Amino acid sequence: MRVRDFLRRDLTSLDRDTPLGQAIRLLERSGHAALPVVDEEGRVIGVLSERDIIRALLPGYLDLLRSASFLPSLNQMAKKLREIERLPVERFMTREVVTCRPEDTDLHVADLMLRKGLKQIPVVDAQGRLIGQVRRIDLLSHL
Amino acid sequence: MILTVTPNPALDKFYWLRELPDIRVPVEEGILIGAEKSLTSAGGKGLNVSVFLAAHGLETVAMGFLAGHTGQIILRDLLARGVSANFVWIEGENRTNVALIVRGREYHPIHIHEEGPTIPPEAVGIFLRKYERMLRRASFVVLAGLLAPGLGPDFYRELARRARAQGVRVVVHAGGEPLVRTFPERPFLVKPDVREALRLGDLPVRTKEEILVAGRRAIQEGAELCLISHHLTGDILISADGVWEFEARVPLSTFRNLVGADDALVGGILVGLAQGKDLIESVRYGMAAAVASAEVEEKLCLDRERILAEMARVEVRPA
Repeated sequence: MRVRDFLRRDLTSLDRDTPLGQAIRLLERSGHAALPVVDEEGRVIGVLSERDIIRALLPGYLDLLRSASFLPSLNQMAKKLREIERLPVERFMTREVVTCRPEDTDLHVADLMLRKGLKQIPVVDAQGRLIGQVRRIDLLSHL
Repeated sequence: MILTVTPNPALDKFYWLRELPDIRVPVEEGILIGAEKSLTSAGGKGLNVSVFLAAHGLETVAMGFLAGHTGQIILRDLLARGVSANFVWIEGENRTNVALIVRGREYHPIHIHEEGPTIPPEAVGIFLRKYERMLRRASFVVLAGLLAPGLGPDFYRELARRARAQGVRVVVHAGGEPLVRTFPERPFLVKPDVREALRLGDLPVRTKEEILVAGRRAIQEGAELCLISHHLTGDILISADGVWEFEARVPLSTFRNLVGADDALVGGILVGLAQGKDLIESVRYGMAAAVASAEVEEKLCLDRERILAEMARVEVRPA
């Protein structure tokens, strides 16, 4: 089976200059855990995930420790969010994006997800423009 | 790709009733109406057009504003039907539109429509940017349905202006002032929604003569084509080159659900044009799609063979 047979044609995305606070509201309202970031031509240039946002709110040493148990409360995160919520998402997004094409096979996408530990992969056309997404559940439900 | 814009999407709920109780008769408790059958689907004129196009294998992207749990259901339904979705998410809840259809009186449904969420200015800005981006991939844009609260009467005009600037042909499938204001932007086709008031701008459209006067004024003011419904089974197409009357020879008793029939009409015209049919044959295909949709309980008939069979019953003559 090819990606075009089971891709989710949802083009919900962020612009590179979308303020972080607005991106958080969009993630919450749309129910996505991550969204592609696109340029003016609609080409995928990054992905912003909840994980990217949390990483931006935590002090760097906690990322190294891979634990938030050293934090006394979330006040520090809330304060940090107020400081950075107007900054563009391109400052926080993951730039090395794994994408797939509609003509790719389900096996290829499954392999990408397993090897890279991805929950969803943007699907792009020949020009690199976003045309949908494939989630792990889309693959599973088409097995 | 055909882009559709539905500023005020809805979740359509249909209930078929054996009969409607007389609510004027005093009762001690509330009135319970048991539905014989019900159907739910994503709704709003542009979304219906997109569903029709996707079922015909055409690439289509639906745009507009989604909100809340209802918005999630609308999105899920669209994606399941092969429509690409590019919406702006806002706070609140999309509207639910209810239609009560009484057996034997299917051509007189009772509608209950909610108003829909208010669109904040920030969301309009985000929408316009997405819209500009999608126009670059589009051959047609369909501006369809009621404007949501918060959008000014020039909203469609602005969208038509931007489409024209990018060489994209515009179809306006809406009513009232927002429709009339698009005329100076030279839309390719206007299909006035006259369900609430049989008027186009300040002109009535009850009789054939009135339709011709109103349609010709739309052409004078900039529209290339104007298609106006005349009774349930007829449409009149007006252009600078001539006038054509379309009539479907079908008894009203065959109708099961009229909601969505005019959206199938617009979708059918676009399918015909995309398939290389000439304008008149495209409108005939649209009329056949509208009749076929009215004859099934589902909102839209997506069965191409059935639509083609209905074409035999659609007559066209120059007026």
